[in-house]
This record gives sequence, structure tokens and C-alpha cells, in this order.
Amino acid sequence: MEAADHAKEVLSLIMNKPGQNPRILVADDSEMNRAILEEMLGGEYDILEAENGAEAVEMIRLHETELSLVLLDIVMPVKDGFGVLDEMNRNRWIEEIPVIMISAETNPDNIERAYELGVTDFISRPFDALIVHRRVVNTILLYAKQKKLINLVTDQIYEKEQSSSLMIDILSHIVEFRNGESGLHVRHVNLLTAMFLRHLTQHTEEYRFSRSEISLISTASALHDIGKIAIDEKILNKPGRLTTEEFEIMKTHSAIGAQMLQDLPIHQEEPLVKVAYEICRWHHERYDGRGYPDGLKGDEIPITAQIVALADVYDALTSERVYKPAFSHEKAVEMILNGECGTFNPLLMDSLRGLAGSIQEELLGDNLVRANQREMRNIAEELLRHKELTAAERTLQLLEHERMKYSFFASLTKEIQFEYTVAPAIVTLSAWGAKRLGLPDVIMDPLHSAEARALLSEEDWKGLSEALRHTTPEDPDLTYDCLIHYSDEPRWARIVARSTWSPEEPPEYTGVIGKAMDIHDSRLRLRKLEQMASHDPLTGLLNHSAAQEQIRARMEDAPERKYALAILDLDHFKAANDTFGHHFGDRVLSFLSDKIRQGIRSGDIAARVGGDEFLIFLEYKQELEPVIQRIYSSLRGEYKGFRLSVSMGISTSEDAGMDYDTLFRTADSALYTVKRGGRGAYRFYNHTMERAFSVITPIENKASEEESENDAKGML
Amino acid sequence: MTLKECYEKMEANYEEVIGRLRSERLVQKFALKFLDDPSYRLLITSMEEKNYEEAFRAAHTIKGVCQNLGFTRLGRSSSALTEALRGGWSQEADSLLEQTKADYQSTVTPLQALRDSQQ
Repeated sequence: MEAADHAKEVLSLIMNKPGQNPRILVADDSEMNRAILEEMLGGEYDILEAENGAEAVEMIRLHETELSLVLLDIVMPVKDGFGVLDEMNRNRWIEEIPVIMISAETNPDNIERAYELGVTDFISRPFDALIVHRRVVNTILLYAKQKKLINLVTDQIYEKEQSSSLMIDILSHIVEFRNGESGLHVRHVNLLTAMFLRHLTQHTEEYRFSRSEISLISTASALHDIGKIAIDEKILNKPGRLTTEEFEIMKTHSAIGAQMLQDLPIHQEEPLVKVAYEICRWHHERYDGRGYPDGLKGDEIPITAQIVALADVYDALTSERVYKPAFSHEKAVEMILNGECGTFNPLLMDSLRGLAGSIQEELLGDNLVRANQREMRNIAEELLRHKELTAAERTLQLLEHERMKYSFFASLTKEIQFEYTVAPAIVTLSAWGAKRLGLPDVIMDPLHSAEARALLSEEDWKGLSEALRHTTPEDPDLTYDCLIHYSDEPRWARIVARSTWSPEEPPEYTGVIGKAMDIHDSRLRLRKLEQMASHDPLTGLLNHSAAQEQIRARMEDAPERKYALAILDLDHFKAANDTFGHHFGDRVLSFLSDKIRQGIRSGDIAARVGGDEFLIFLEYKQELEPVIQRIYSSLRGEYKGFRLSVSMGISTSEDAGMDYDTLFRTADSALYTVKRGGRGAYRFYNHTMERAFSVITPIENKASEEESENDAKGML
Repeated sequence: MTLKECYEKMEANYEEVIGRLRSERLVQKFALKFLDDPSYRLLITSMEEKNYEEAFRAAHTIKGVCQNLGFTRLGRSSSALTEALRGGWSQEADSLLEQTKADYQSTVTPLQALRDSQQ
């Protein structure tokens, strides 16, 4: 018999005893009955016989580990079948050795009692030879595989280095390998399960799954078919239609899978195991109550199992199988929605409609790999959370240590450190920072807290949010300088911050961490240095290079406007300096610069070019002369008997163009012309002055020295 | 005499037993073995000794073998006797024993004829 040979081969492989037949004990007081059974099974099994219950117990004691099965009669002399079962329970043999009861008993109480005492099966007389044979083979295979599998699972769980994902991988691949399916089925079911869970969470009131629950359930979904390990490969991979009997065997896989999980010697309380149990046992139930093994109806079926059932059906439809070609995605969705593949929860049908557009995309391409990696990570997290308590404690200790270090350094730096989370909207401040700001450590809803808002000006809040908006997960850092309004005084601060983002795709903005450093003193120092660098220390006016820079910038910013540059110097100054001393000369220059400052408008630029020379830069619209006239008049006056006389040359951008150097040179020429023409006047540049010498050039200096001497003499 | 003819004489169901046990050789082997089965003797002596517990087991065994071999007539009476003895002796037991005895004779006579025809 071919099937028998196959079973024998499989059995001897499993039992690791090639060539030796599994042993069956037949306990029956009728020699005839024993003979009939031996005749039916003797070719494939070694038969031991016992003619009463006491003998049976003795045989089991002797051959415990070698026995693969006991066929037990109920009514026997000395000790009956129930007595044997009592002994087997007392000695815990019943956990190792399956028992099939064969009896002419039809009393339901007795049959029930037999099952309660742990028999695997009950065959009533008259028995059918094929049924006895089939049940014996199945029971032995199931027990042998289950035993092996339990050992495998136990080993995997005890292997500390092995994660449960490896276990799941191994188990699901064993199943798939035997199923002749591609390795993708388990992954697809996993992905589809997660998609449906997410969709239900987003679109229904009834179901809400957290991210970790989704990952847990979709991970557990990989185990939905582990029970198939106990199903004969011939049935599993049969190309044609299964016979009713074969289908009955096939159907046992859901209960077997659940039983395997329940038989795990440890980890019964693991959420993963509990969810996997639901999925294994009930993923062939139907919403209308016509599924198996328990015929659960509607929401009696856990939603996890309902989802996996749907995912399983969809993937089976769209995959090629030994008995059918692959259907297209559209066809599969249509068939499911039309109720051609079972009845499902209407909510799940809604989800299927909602997801129909994206399922294919999700199942293909990068998503697969990424989701798989995500799943691995989630499993690892799950493991850490539930199993490695010691590791979790150590992590906590490290975290505590880090926190201590952090707050110590934070207290040293006198920085305001802060952390902002979007949901919930909370700002947490470092202890020192909270004290400095006069705020609590934790501020709920900071955007609507008056105290928090008062810290910065409205403009700075806007600027800061703007800067924040420009950060990205790739470039999350920002720097922003602003005044912080403490209760006592406003001070300059530099805010350095980093935006934080969620790990999923696409990343979502989750908050900000950062600190505010006090830069007030250094900023003031810098300001002073800038001031010193750009201003003439005697008069407080800009120096020439700073003025030049500002003028160039002004003309560049608005080249369409009209500008005038006036260069002026003090007549007879050298003589005054020589006569009354440098101190007196300095005071005259200060006096004049005060007058210049008062004479110009706020937008004009005034600077000391050097010595007794100054410049004024101004913008004009219509007539320039009245403006110049007014400024020139304002510069008249007398300082302690020294009458101020000023010569001034003016050039305009209309004449000289938008170029500082040309403007300066032409104004200088005009001034020279004034000097040569008798001083104490102003003149606008014109082309006839083109060849005039500069007041500021050495040649001019010589001329001016002569003049100065004359002036001084003349004055005295 | 063929096995089929023997079954007809016994008022036993030949088609049913062949359908279950799948082999004429097997059925004949065990049917003939029934002649050597000690259960009937045990039933008679136990009843005589008023050991009703033992008698129950013997009747039960006969019932089981009859069911397996498709001995419908003997199976019916031994089954009734088994129930009558389940809780010890009962009023019907004696008359059912007589019926069983009669059915046993009508079963073993054709079986013996079969064995004789084979030798």
C-alpha cells in the first residue's frame, strides 16, 4: 500500500529509528479482537498485546518511551479501560502516549468519560478497517510532530540569542515549504493584516489599535497555518480536489495549530502567543457561523482572526496554487465583495473597498522590505518589553544615569534648556532655566500661556516659528537671536534648537529640543567694538571708511534716487591749532561736529574724513540748493572767540553718477575751487573744475598750508 | 460452501462486513476463528456460577466480536444480554441467555460447515 509506505517512511524519519516500526499496544480481552487489529496494523507497526487492564499497565510501564500508541478496550477483566486511563494519568504517561479507545460501548457517558481522561480518539465497533488505519496513522504522526515541534519551539524560546522573529520565520517557512507555497504568503498576510488594522483604526469607532498592537497582531498572523505541519503532505499538496475525508483532515489544522500554542510549556501569558492562538484557531471561522472548527458567528470570532481570514483569502486568490491559477487583484477583490469566498464582517468589506486602490502597491516593491524590517524591530521591542526584564532594568538604569549627567551639566552652563512636544503640547524647562525665567518646570499648552508669550516680542515669536518651519528631518537645526524679556530686564539670547521627527514614513514633526544662551554681555561688547571701529573717537561722528561703506550701500539699495555729497573743511584751522594748542583745536572740531549733527536730517550721513575735514551725504528730491544753504548757515558760529568759517564743495549723483569715488573726487574738486576762490563759501561741482587739485592730495596740502599761514596771520 | 453462503445461513450481513474489513480472506480467517473463541464458554460457565460480572464481560466481548464480524443475529441477542447484565443479574437475563444460546448455535453450525468444506 503506497500510503502506508509513505507513512512508515515519515514515521521512521520522525522517530529517528530508521528500519524500526513504531510500537502499538493493543489492550483487549478478546483474542479475536486483538488478532483483527494485529492483522490490520501488523505490517507497519510492531504490536504488543495485553489481555486485561493490569497487563496493559505493566506493558506501558515496561515500554513507556517506545510506545507510539495504545489501542484500548473499555470492558476488560482485572482492570478495565478506565482503570488503565487512571493509571496513565497518575503516571503522566497520557501526556506522552496517545490512546485510541476502541469499544462496543455506545453509552455516551462512557465515551465522554474516556475523552475526559485524555483519550485522543474513540472508535466504536464495528470498526471500519480503513478508519482504524487512518486514525492510527494520523494520531501517531500528529503526536510525533507535535512532540518535535514543541521541542523546537521550546528550544527557540530558551535560546536567548534567538529572537522570536526567527522562531516565527522558521515555523512559517516549515509550513510554507510543506505547502509548496512561495515564501511571500506569510509576508503578504502580515502586511495585509497590518493594513486592515490601520484602516479599521482610522475609519471605525469600534476598533482602535495602537502601533504596537498592530505590529503584535500582524507578527502573530505569520503563525496562522502552523497547524498544517501535522497534515499529511499528500493532502496538503494534492493538485486536485480533496475528498470529503481529506478535507476533514485538512480542516483539523486550525485546531491543531491552536493546540500547539496552548501546549507551549512556557510563555502562555505572552500577548503574542495569545493573539497567535486566536488567529490559529479561528482563521477559518465564517461571519455567518458556517466556518470551522467551532462554528463561531459574527463578532464571537476575534477581530484578529477575522482580519487574518480575509488576508489569507485575498492572498490565496491572487497567488498561483497547485489547484488554481492566480487571479488578478481586481478579480480577487470583486470575488470577495460578491461573497464568493465566504462571508465577512461588513466593516472589513468597507475596509477592503477603501484599501482596494493601495493594496497592490503596498505588497510590491520597497514597502515589503521596509515593513519587514519594521516588523523585526517591533518584534525585538516586543521581546525587550515582555521578556528581557533584566535588560529593561539595565536600560532604565542607564537612562537614569544619562538624566543625572544631563541635569548636572545643564546646571553648570547657565543655559535655559527646553523641550517642546507637539502632542501633548508641553514645554519642559531645565531646573535652572525655569528659575531664571520665573516659570514652572512644565508649561502645559505653552502657545496659549500669557507668561510664556510675554518672554519674546510678537515679532520674535513669528521669526522663531518661521525658522522652525524651515527645518527638515535632514536639516533640523536652527539658530535665532532675540531679546528675552525677563521680569527684571530684557537681555539678548541666542536660541539653538533642533526639531524632532517621528520615525515613520513620512516623518512627522513632533517637537523641538534646544537651549537659549545668554549673549547679552558679549553682544554689547561686540556692539561697542563695532561702534569703536566705525566712529571717530573725538567727535563721535562716523569715520571715513564706515561712512563710505554706508554711502555705497545706500546708493546701491536705491540707485534711482538723487544724492549729494558735501565735503567741508574749517578755514584757518591750522593756524588756530598752532596758536592755541591741540586741545583748543580738538574742542573746536567737537564744537563743529555738534553743529553738523544738529544741522543735518536724521537720514543723512555725516562723518569726519580726517583732520578738520568732514563729509555730509544726503538724499534730495527737488531743489538741492535750499537744503545746502540751510546746512551751510547752521555751521556758522563762534567757539571761545574763534569764528567758525567753513568751505564746502558739493557734488551730486546727477552730475557724477552713482559712484562713491567719483562723487568724492568731484566734491573735493569743488571744495578746492572754493578754497582757491577765497574760502567761506560753498560751491557745486561743474566740469570746469575737472582739472582742479584735490584739497586732500599732498599738493593741495602744501597749498593749504600756505593759505593756512596766511589765514592765521590775517586773523590775528 | 462459500463465505457468502455461510453468512446467509447465519443471517449475517456479508456485504456490510466486506465493505468494512475490505478483504474476504481476512473476514473468513476471523469468522472461522470465532469457533475457537472462549468467550461463549466463559459466558455459560459464569452464568452457571452466578458470576454475573464475568458473564457481563463475556457477553460484551461476544457482542463486540459479532459486531466486528457482522454476525447480526447473534450480535443482537448478545447485545441485549449485555445490557441485562450490566448492573448484575436482572429478570430478563435468563431468557436472553436462552436466546443467545440459540443464536450461537445457528451461527456456529454454518461456520463449522464452512471449515469442513475448506479442509
